[in-house]
This record gives sequence, structure tokens and C-alpha cells, in this order.
Amino acid sequence: MLELKNLDSGYDFLQVLWEVSFTVEQGEFVALIGPNGAGKSTTLRTIAGLIKPKGGDILFNGESIKAKAPHLISRMGISYVSEALNLFTDMSVQENLLLGAYAVKEKETQLKTLDYVFELFPRLQERKDQLAGTMSGGERKMLAIARGMMSNPTLMLVDEPSLGLQPNLTYAVFEALLKLRKQGVTILLVEQNVNATLDITDRAYILEQGKIVMSGPSHEMKANDHVRNAYLGI
Amino acid sequence: MAKETSTAPTTTVNFITWVKDNLPVVIVTIFSIILFIMIGFKGGAPQLLNVVVTGCMWALLATGLALVFGVMNIPHFAHGESFMVGAYIAYFTFTPLNKIFLSTGSKFLIYLGPFLAIIAAGLAGSVLGIIIEKLVFAPLRHRTKEGWIMNAFLLTVGLSFVLTNGTTLVMGPNFRGIPRYFDVPSVEIMGAFIAVDRIVAAIISLVTIGLLWFFLRRTKLGRAIRAVSQDETGAQLVGINLDFIQTFTFSLATGMAAISGASLLFMFQAYPTVGVTPLYFAWYVVMLVGLGNVAGAIVGGFLVALLQSGTQLFIGLSWQSVVPTAIMVLVLILAPSGIFGSEVKGVQEQ
Repeated sequence: MLELKNLDSGYDFLQVLWEVSFTVEQGEFVALIGPNGAGKSTTLRTIAGLIKPKGGDILFNGESIKAKAPHLISRMGISYVSEALNLFTDMSVQENLLLGAYAVKEKETQLKTLDYVFELFPRLQERKDQLAGTMSGGERKMLAIARGMMSNPTLMLVDEPSLGLQPNLTYAVFEALLKLRKQGVTILLVEQNVNATLDITDRAYILEQGKIVMSGPSHEMKANDHVRNAYLGI
Repeated sequence: MAKETSTAPTTTVNFITWVKDNLPVVIVTIFSIILFIMIGFKGGAPQLLNVVVTGCMWALLATGLALVFGVMNIPHFAHGESFMVGAYIAYFTFTPLNKIFLSTGSKFLIYLGPFLAIIAAGLAGSVLGIIIEKLVFAPLRHRTKEGWIMNAFLLTVGLSFVLTNGTTLVMGPNFRGIPRYFDVPSVEIMGAFIAVDRIVAAIISLVTIGLLWFFLRRTKLGRAIRAVSQDETGAQLVGINLDFIQTFTFSLATGMAAISGASLLFMFQAYPTVGVTPLYFAWYVVMLVGLGNVAGAIVGGFLVALLQSGTQLFIGLSWQSVVPTAIMVLVLILAPSGIFGSEVKGVQEQ
């Protein structure tokens, strides 16, 4: 479904990714893990079109998307939930969600997705008239994920959803991702919480210093010596 | 009973904290009310009406500036030239149309003429906005976002020179004007006589602002515009076409300034540098309330009009520009981000 071919990317004169290649198949739940500064967020931002790659190619359903504008990539069915969340802080929760479905033409589909999202995150329904900027960190994170779901994406790129969240909220977020996956949405997850991530994902790629150094099924990765030493602290 | 007594102190406390949090707004509100009443006593209804009419005018211009700054982060110093273009278009549409309509003798057509001229100016302004955006700002935006505000500011200043001098070259420096749009006697409102043209201009401003407000709040496209002003990246991620929204916003602002210039043709006339005064007053307004704050710009328009009228009445006509400017400097010292302290995210990111 998503294929990165020898992707080089970075900011201005700073190259962050060096020939990164990996694939995500339809319906898979794939994790991308690595230390700080390895280029995980850069990878996601490049796929979402916010950074133009310096070399290589990105294929989505066989079509190259590397030269496409971010809004067109979003309309193709790739939804990126950024680390910075990028919420519309002066708008209500409901307005944020409806904007998430900006590219969805049919009003009925919009409302149906809205109902579904509210069912998944009842907290958001309670606060639907509150301004997004006045919500707590956990609620904002949920809102960002919910907004990302509003466009009915086929592939979701989720960046550090547990960052700064208390443990029970982290589990709520992970559960929401698992529910999404059951709906048939393909997910590429970037996470710091390696232990929990390897428990819920199918496969994992390890990115270090801008290069993919290891890949395999998540349960095998959890048994790997390097992963245990570097990320699990066992 | 017990419940009532317990809630009373908390509401007082809430009120006090609210006042403390919004101190600049409270001070300004009280000050404006006092000034409004004082102007009413000294100058009577004509002065009060004057405040309303001028206020509508500044508000319409300032909302355009606020919109362009909020959505595109452009400190727009060529906004006055949109006003000028509007005045010229209205002049060249109205004069021949009026001649034809007068010869038909139909009252309906004669009264329709001014509106047609203003609508034509609005449309021409929007087209000009699209051309300027696509020709000047879009290429710069695609090249680099670095130092954007400074670059955009210099571009607008250059644009202002080009448009003003270009107009002088083509049209000459002469004033072209009309004595009035509507050839009817002034109407009496609250004992004051006021020209129909002024009332129509005020109503057009109010209707345009009202429509803009409705558009931004209630429509999908309007919501997308607000989304871009609050978070550009977020807007792109939900599938909003940034280029389209920015061109559209610029065109909207230019069109509004052109409508303003057209509806005030009887007052300002049309000449190459006609936009300078309105531009500066519109800038006072947006600096006073905070850059990029559309709602604030409407309130600010009336505030500046109030200050102008107050100065005229109590200090003297020649101080009309001095006092509002001095107050603006004071506001910038005391509340650097304006009275309503707007948050334009794009600026803070840079």
C-alpha cells in the first residue's frame, strides 16, 4: 500500500534520512521506532508532503506521491496526526472535527463519521462546544486523532500519540488505534513507548541515524538483543 | 436560600477576575461610552451619526487588512491602492451609466446606477486581487517562507508605488469626482440632516461586514479560511488547498477595499493618491486592536472614528490625526499586541 524507495529527506542543508526503504501492506499495523533525532517524524512529514524529499520515491497504492501538495496527499486517503497536533485552537471541538472532513463532500458521510468518532471518544462529545485551545493535553491528542479519522483515511500516520500523556490515557489512545485497525485502517505508528508499541503492532522497523537498521515482526523484535538493550532497558 | 447566598460572592469574585483578565478591553469600553455620551452632548445627533458613518468605513477597510494579515501574514501597505482602484472604477462606471439612465428618465434606473457602479468596483477589485496575488505573492511564497513578513511588507510598499505612479501615468494627477450619487435632498434623522449618500455608504459597509462575518462563521469555505489563519500546517493536513485559500482571501480583501473606495467616491473623489489617508486610518485600527483580529477590527473602526470625532469637537479640527496617533503609540507601549491581543500563529512561529 505504502512503499518508500531509497528516500532521502531533510531540512534545507541538513539531510536527515539516508536511503530509507520500507513497505506497509494493506490492513497492517506497523511501528517505526528509534531514538530521538533518528528521523521518525521527518519520515512521516515527508510522506504527508510537508517536506519535499531530496531523492528516492514514495508510492501510495502504486502511485508516486513525492511531488504532490500536502492537501492532495490528504485527499488521497493518507491522514497524518502530527506530534505538534496542529489543531485549530480558536475553534470548537466540533468545528475542528468537521474541518477534518473538509474533503468529504457528502454531508451524511460527515455526520456518520462524526457519530462514530464521538462513540470512540465520548469525552469529545461532552466537550464538543469547547474551544480546542482550552482543552487538556490528553483531550487535545484525542481530538487530533479523531480529526485525522474524520476524512475516512485508508492509511493513518500517527506521530507520538503517547507523548506527555498519563498511562491510562495512553492506553485509551492505543485502544482507539486498535479499534481503528479493526475497521481496516492501515496504521503507521511512531512511538517512544517501545514496549507497549511492540505489543500491539504486527511489524516494526527500527530507524537509527536516518537509516533503517532492523525490521521484522513485532514479537520477534521484542526478543532481539539489540532492541532489548537499547529500547526496552532489559 | 442558602444556595443563593453562597453563589452571590462567587459571581462577584468571578466578575472581578474577569475584569482583571480583560483590563484593556474594560478600560476601552468605559472610555468609549463616556466619549460617545460627551460627543452626544456637545455635538448632538449630527456628530453621533458622523461617528457611525466614519466607523463603518474604517471597519470595512480594517477588516480587509486584518484578514490579509491573519491568513497570509502580509502587512498590506497597498490596501489604499485597492481603495483607489475602486474609486476610479466607480467613477468610470457611474458617469456614463448615469447619463444613459438620466436620458431614460426612469427613477428606478437612476437609483440603480450607484449600486451597479459599486458592485462593478467590487468585482474589479476582486479580479485585481487575484492578479496581484498570483503575480506577486504566490511566486515569493513558493520560493521561500524565510523572512516572509519583511519581504511581503516591502513588496506591498513597492506595489503601492507602482500602482500609484502607474495610475498617475495613465489617468493624470487630476481629481475625478462626482458631487453626489443620489440627487435627492438630505434626510432628517434625530433632528440632524444627513446626506443620503453617507447613509447608503454606511449601510453598504455594514452589509458587507455582516456578509463577511456570516461567510467566515457559517460556510465551509469561511471555516477553511479561519483554519488557515489558525494553523497553516493543520489546514493542509485536513485537505485544504492553501494556495486557493490565500488567493481567495487576498481577492476578498481587495474587493472589500474597492467597495469602500467606490461607495465613498462622493467624499474622497478619485485621484492617484486617494488611498493614503484611508490606508493609514485602517492601519491605526488594526494596530489598536491587534493584527489579524477580524472581529476586533470592526470594533476598532468605530473606536478610531470616535476618537477622531472627539478630537474634532473638543480639541480642534487640525488635531484630528494627531490625537488618534498619539493614543495608538500609547496603546503600543502599554499593550504591544493590541487591545484585544490577537494571536496570529504564523507570526509567533517565525
